[in-house]
Amino acid sequence: MRRRPGIGGLQTAAATRDQYRLLGENVAKVRTDLMKEQLATFRSQLEEFARKHKNDIRKNPTFRAQFHEMCAKVGVDPLASNKGFWAELLGIGDFYYELGIQIVEICLATRSHNGGLINLEELCTLLRQKRRSDREAVSEDDCLRAISKLKILGSGFEVISVGKRKLVRSVPTELNKDHNAILELAQARGFVTVDEVERQLLWGSGRTIDALDTLLEEGLAMIDDGHRDGKRRYWFLVYLPSHQEGLMYRVSSSFCISCTNHEV
Amino acid sequence: MQKLGDFKLPQFFNYTPYFTLQPVRDTREKQLQLWKELILDYCKTQKIYTIGLEENFPLFSNPVIERSLNNEARETFLSALVSEGRAEWLDKGHKKCLILWHRIQDWAEIILQFVKDYGLEDGVMTIEDIRLGIESRGTELHGVDRTILNRALKILESKGKAAIFKGTSTDDEGVKFSV
Repeated sequence: MRRRPGIGGLQTAAATRDQYRLLGENVAKVRTDLMKEQLATFRSQLEEFARKHKNDIRKNPTFRAQFHEMCAKVGVDPLASNKGFWAELLGIGDFYYELGIQIVEICLATRSHNGGLINLEELCTLLRQKRRSDREAVSEDDCLRAISKLKILGSGFEVISVGKRKLVRSVPTELNKDHNAILELAQARGFVTVDEVERQLLWGSGRTIDALDTLLEEGLAMIDDGHRDGKRRYWFLVYLPSHQEGLMYRVSSSFCISCTNHEV
Repeated sequence: MQKLGDFKLPQFFNYTPYFTLQPVRDTREKQLQLWKELILDYCKTQKIYTIGLEENFPLFSNPVIERSLNNEARETFLSALVSEGRAEWLDKGHKKCLILWHRIQDWAEIILQFVKDYGLEDGVMTIEDIRLGIESRGTELHGVDRTILNRALKILESKGKAAIFKGTSTDDEGVKFSV
């Protein structure tokens, strides 16, 4: 073998590099182990907690909401997968998938008379009616969670906030800011007039009529020309307290609207 | 729930926009459907056979919410029934409408059933007896509109199951069944 100059130096350097690498690996391993241990502890604690409060989580909607909040804070989504310990432990995934399916059913069944926009409160009431046999209570928070999971399907389920109310949209129509503003304005009495919109929102008549026409076209609103002041009223079906009893099962044949909402 | 006599009105009857013809097709379809069902249902339970467009038909207005159907809406709803064979205009001006909660052929079936139930297979009856006689009491035929009855009997006649014969006056018009 031919001797090369400074081979000793090179070898030393290589050895040092190896040493460093080894050391580095060791440190990293220690860290990973520590992290793993911490995670394991955390996981077991969380499991322990979930196991201990299993019944509360299942039965008590408030507790469930708080549990979700806690999970969100530590970056755990119990709904992310149906496999794994959450599902085994709580069956919590199934619970929300079932809710999701029922929500879709309700939205489809009521679409013909609300145009695909439903009040969250009403949705919850219908959901509870549908699950009557089920002892476990369902909160609005649960509904919202189930709906957020539906978004993944890309079917256009969305929760929009109009004032204090939350409305669930199940048709792919994009409601823009103008539509939302009108919906918000209509909240008070269930209807708006062109005048009212122009005055309150300071819009020109073109913009107003355009927005109202879209809402009519989408089946979210109906006109009423019968008032003695002669002004056309645009009523919003979503604000009708619909006659909920048995509504789901006789949707097309006799859609009912409560009489409590007509103007005075 | 609002009531008209003993008739339970549907909820939509209390909702003002249903008294205005809706401009959007889908919404109007839903509106038409509800009104058609209401009119048929009401006429059936109240035994109303004709509706005059300009009359004070109770369904045409709701004083509680201060709304009434204008003529266009009335004619639209009734025309929708006509197009489904559940009503017929009695005049060219569309002012008077015959409501057929049973279609004419269904009325014919009802007559046949009545004839069988009462053993009148070869019997003779005056038309007035069918409408107002003791036999028909308690059946759907009791008090049936004359036009409807005549039309139903003509169907039976065309099938050879009845023969209508004229008397000296309209009261004597009779029918011989051969079922």
